[in-house]
Amino acid sequence: MDALVAQLQMQYRNYTVSLYQQGFLDDQFTELKKLQDDASPDFVAEVLSLFFEDCVKLIGNMARALDQTGTVDFSQVGASVHQLKGSSSSVGAKRVKGLCITFKEYCEANNYEGCVRCLQQVDIEFKALQTKLQDMFNLEKQIIQAGGKVPQVDIN
Amino acid sequence: MTVEHDIEAMDQFPVGMRVLAVDDDQTCLRILETLLHRCQYHVTTTDKAQTALELLRENKNKFDLVISDVDMPDMDGFKLLERVGLEMDSPVIMLSAHSDPKYVMKGVKHGACDYMLKPVRIEELKNIWQHVVRKSKFKKMKSIVTNGESEGNSDQNGVRANRKRKDQSEEEDEDEEEEEEQERGNEKKPRVIWTRELHNKFLAAVDHVGVKNAVPKKILELMNVDNLTRENVGSHLQKFRLALKKINNEANMAAANSHFTQMSSLKGLGSFHHYRPTPLGSSQFHGGAATMRHYPSNRTFAGMFPHFKSSLPRNHNDGGYMLQGKPFPSLETLHITNNNNNKAFPSFTSPQSSPLVASSNHLVLEGHQQSSFPSFSPHLEINKRLEDWSNAVYSNNIPQSNVHSKPDALEWNMDTTKTTSFCRDTDFGSSNAAQADFLDPFQMKQQHENILDPMTVAELSRSSSADEGLFMGQQKLENNFMASDAGSLDDIVNSMMTQV
Repeated sequence: MDALVAQLQMQYRNYTVSLYQQGFLDDQFTELKKLQDDASPDFVAEVLSLFFEDCVKLIGNMARALDQTGTVDFSQVGASVHQLKGSSSSVGAKRVKGLCITFKEYCEANNYEGCVRCLQQVDIEFKALQTKLQDMFNLEKQIIQAGGKVPQVDIN
Repeated sequence: MTVEHDIEAMDQFPVGMRVLAVDDDQTCLRILETLLHRCQYHVTTTDKAQTALELLRENKNKFDLVISDVDMPDMDGFKLLERVGLEMDSPVIMLSAHSDPKYVMKGVKHGACDYMLKPVRIEELKNIWQHVVRKSKFKKMKSIVTNGESEGNSDQNGVRANRKRKDQSEEEDEDEEEEEEQERGNEKKPRVIWTRELHNKFLAAVDHVGVKNAVPKKILELMNVDNLTRENVGSHLQKFRLALKKINNEANMAAANSHFTQMSSLKGLGSFHHYRPTPLGSSQFHGGAATMRHYPSNRTFAGMFPHFKSSLPRNHNDGGYMLQGKPFPSLETLHITNNNNNKAFPSFTSPQSSPLVASSNHLVLEGHQQSSFPSFSPHLEINKRLEDWSNAVYSNNIPQSNVHSKPDALEWNMDTTKTTSFCRDTDFGSSNAAQADFLDPFQMKQQHENILDPMTVAELSRSSSADEGLFMGQQKLENNFMASDAGSLDDIVNSMMTQV
């Protein structure tokens, strides 16, 4: 089993590093991982699932706000974007956070097309992140099932 | 809370500090909660500002500190901040993803102790306890002033009194803290701990010779305590005297006698009748200018001088800190709750809080209504007062950070040993009390307790790092202008702003 564990661990390491390198995750995610310990072994997974729930909710809000016939309430959109920015920065969802910054600017400029574009992108990004993280968590599970420990990945 | 319990709690502090975290974003809230747990604080969370307020109102002393997000759907974070300031006088830290300085400014104006940006890092949270300490020290000082007795010496400049008060509290703090918290000021020589017993001996000795005749040598002899030097006694006596004067000044400042009765009813003290109801000059209280503001925002004074508040003339809402003659918010706006931190005033708990809170604008007077007070045994009163003072003083061991006046401005960084940001965030809260006039008299080099006058603050803000500067700027502003929760004071704030 050791070979399998080792292999899985290497896979896990590589995968995690790639997520950082591709800009999906940043240091804040590393910080979150540090908070995970024996007392709260699923902390990161819990927080991330809360985050994804928030994403769905906020994206829904934004879509509704942007979908109005007549005048769009950009401040409302902006409020949701702001919140998403806050939570994405707290979990280390780098790409999502970056998008939020751009999104916010469009809101402030009352740029409808810009906002709609950003909204679509945010949707794509968060789903992509969700998939990636899911894969990462799955790898973790496999390692544990194979009797190994999830390695601490050092991101340089 | 008993004094012993308080001291015990202080021993562990900041471990177990009770924090209330409010954020409508569940992701952030969860992370914050975990981070706070990691700092070994005791955490309660809620995603609604309204719930938070209810929790706080349920028991004003339930939480040491509140951390709140700025953007919340059910209530603006700043409003929550104001409410907490008015009603509970707890330190509140704002949290936001907005890094825009104007939000930070708003936070400061509304009385926030601190403003953090999301994502919050654990390092920042590790130092938030300083705000609790600062505030309670502030309150402690106020209690010292209120507890102290006056000798009927109304000429005493409020500044000196203030300094004295700070000295006392500082010394007490230091003494207390030394053992518990690894004194911030390690460079100081070991201090004499003025325990209650020791202080009582001191009081007895003073009483014996008479306050006016009290000289350190005599007192020392009478006390007959080993390892006590004449210098120890001398400095303690000095503080004692200043406290008395301070009290006296404040008493004089009080328009009505109401607070005297209040105080006396609280403590069962006869009364502090030496107070002469002379109108208070702005000089009476240290720092005429700046300090008023923080009163409501700072909320410490409210706790400290509940009785003073009502009786003070218009411009001395908060224990007589004047804001350059500017109109003060009515007393209603100042939260009158005695304290957030019972530790500071073990003697002032229940009896005091209800009258204070109940009648926002006028304290129920129970006794001497006349402006001239019958004289009474100063000794007795002094002793009792000092007892309170010493109770307050050493029951509340939280170290406080004051900022040294100008020359010492840079010292803080050295002074605060354990807590880096502690010194950096000089005790604007507590120093508010002894603001502007507090320059030279207050040469107390207590570890980190220095009063930072506005100029110094400005200098410090300029000289320190960006972060610190921001802090100080914030702090300073907080100190220097009226509570913004009194809406009408916004222009005062603005005018004050130019100081910075």
